[in-house]
Amino acid sequence: MVNIQNVRKVYKIGEERVVALNDISLKIHPEEICCFLGTSGSGKSTLLNIMAGLEKPTKGTITIQGKKIEKMSEKEVTKFRQKNIGFVFQSYNLLPSLTALENVSLPLTFRGVPKNMRDRIAMEMLESVGLKKHIAHKPSQMSGGQQQRVGIARAFVSKPPIVFADEPTGNLDSKTTEEVMSLMLNMAREYKQTLILVTHDKSIAEFADRIVYILDGNIEKVEEKGLMKGAGIE
Amino acid sequence: MNNLDLIKMALGNLLRRKTRTLLTILGVVIGTSSIVVMLSLGIAMDYSFKEQLSRMGSLNLIDVNNYGFYGEGIAPGGGKDLKLDDHAVNSIRQIQGVQGVMPIKTAYVRIVAGKMMGNLPVIGIQPELMEVFDFKVETGRLLMASDKDAIVFGKQITMNFYNPRLRNPQFGPMGPEPPKIDLMNNKLILTTSMEYGERRMAGVERDPNQKPPKLYKVKGVGILQESQSEKDYNAYMHMDTLQKILEESQRTEQGEGQRRRGSQQNDQYERVSVKVEDINQVEAVQEQIKTMGFQPFSLTDMLKSMKETSRKMQAILGGIGAVSLFVAAIGITNTMVMSIYERTREIGVMKVLGADLTDIRKLFLLEAGMIGFGGGLLGLVLSYLISLGLNKIGGGFLGGMGGNTGISVIPFQLAMAALAFSTIVGLVSGFSPARRAMNLSALEAIRSE
Repeated sequence: MVNIQNVRKVYKIGEERVVALNDISLKIHPEEICCFLGTSGSGKSTLLNIMAGLEKPTKGTITIQGKKIEKMSEKEVTKFRQKNIGFVFQSYNLLPSLTALENVSLPLTFRGVPKNMRDRIAMEMLESVGLKKHIAHKPSQMSGGQQQRVGIARAFVSKPPIVFADEPTGNLDSKTTEEVMSLMLNMAREYKQTLILVTHDKSIAEFADRIVYILDGNIEKVEEKGLMKGAGIE
Repeated sequence: MNNLDLIKMALGNLLRRKTRTLLTILGVVIGTSSIVVMLSLGIAMDYSFKEQLSRMGSLNLIDVNNYGFYGEGIAPGGGKDLKLDDHAVNSIRQIQGVQGVMPIKTAYVRIVAGKMMGNLPVIGIQPELMEVFDFKVETGRLLMASDKDAIVFGKQITMNFYNPRLRNPQFGPMGPEPPKIDLMNNKLILTTSMEYGERRMAGVERDPNQKPPKLYKVKGVGILQESQSEKDYNAYMHMDTLQKILEESQRTEQGEGQRRRGSQQNDQYERVSVKVEDINQVEAVQEQIKTMGFQPFSLTDMLKSMKETSRKMQAILGGIGAVSLFVAAIGITNTMVMSIYERTREIGVMKVLGADLTDIRKLFLLEAGMIGFGGGLLGLVLSYLISLGLNKIGGGFLGGMGGNTGISVIPFQLAMAALAFSTIVGLVSGFSPARRAMNLSALEAIRSE
């Protein structure tokens, strides 16, 4: 599904060179729920951005569904994301001018899905995240948990094969965290999607099939939880 | 993204910042209406020139006189003995765009109708050309090719008649009222002798050698409609008849040494009137006649110089207006740039969620274009109101000069052009911000707080 090969990322800050990722290789399997766990500054977010094609690696390749992400032009990457990738952000990133329904249907809008069809799909998504009553609400009228549920609905609405979640519960309290996490996991399992989580929170990582510990730009260790035997470091 | 979604989204974004959008639009409104109103003043000037001129005569007529072309030396035919004869008429007729050529001869004759008598100019023309040259009758009919002795009178011609038996016979155009005379039904006698019908003064010996003037019986067949042109003051008859009358009159007058000047030579015309099909071809035709060596004259000459003046005025006035639209354009760019700063994060999210780059550019272009279009539309409404006001207030003291035109005219084409222009200004102003939005790094954008 996702094949990370010898990825290295070096930032140049002034005269100084900062190695964010040293040399990372990893295979993520279809339908796997994989969590990258690390402290802030470990390079886990950089890895996620590189996987999503938002950043280019200094060295190495990322192959998603047989396509080399780092070789694509920005235009191609955007198209690729539109078709294959869903995103859940830490700070929700809902468009403030749009209602919950419009926010959820946004990825479908970008794909050119007709309005009545995308409204129907978005409605179903909102229903399954338990926000049926809030479809006409603007983000400012909702709590953080509700907003993140809208964000999840948006990430899953176009049924992308891969969903990235960057600290999805970073701004939520523990009770809501639990709700949001199980919601995401259920959805990923239901639609047979690959879910890639990035977090610094050990308790979140416990939800995943596999935990990849990242430390100073390297994979420190990989912890598997039964189901996905045989997957590991290349 | 389909276009409807883009439009909706752009509109939504504009409505989100109502005050700012409104202020930006206001700039465009002022810019557009100042251009439109300024230009409308120039256009109105143009129109009133045209109106004034067309009151003076038809704009697609060219007159070629038989004087002024020799001895001038400037004209290509200068020095040569050019004649305004049938040959010249034929070659003028062959110029492209010429609808008809009417050779003209004039004779000053005396016509006696019953008790009344009048001296008037009679113009010889070819009857079949009357319709081409816009002769219209009020009563009776136009000349026909078979009319040898028929005359058509201009509307004001009755002013020339008086009763010689009355003490104060001169009514003239200044008289208290036009003489009552029926030119259609009276028997008319035409003569070239200006002494016919006068009472002879006592003591003046009559020259025994002088033949009595030849008299011609003619009949009036029509009175022309009033046209506010020279047609009102002339009588018209068949060219051949007039030709004959002129020849015979010369013969009788030869003995007295009163031979007419060269302008009335038999094979030459005094004047040739050329009708051009399309008003826009007048200049070209006139130019061609000039290369033949003649000195053509048309009202278009005057119109041309008047147009030149009004074009200059329009350029100056339009330039003043353009400055304010330019300022408005800067306003649009500023608004769009601000809007991008504000929405950086949003743009980033859209990019991450898979919005096409071109869609992002389109979205911003659309917003800028909408400001331009909306401003243009409102600006037009304002322009029409201002124009209306100007014509109401200013029409009073300029009315005498401007005729019915008023001082501000906004033709439909100007309105459409203004709308298109303001939209284009919007798009152009939005172009660079839109590119910037498109090229924004998605990662930087979502990181920015």
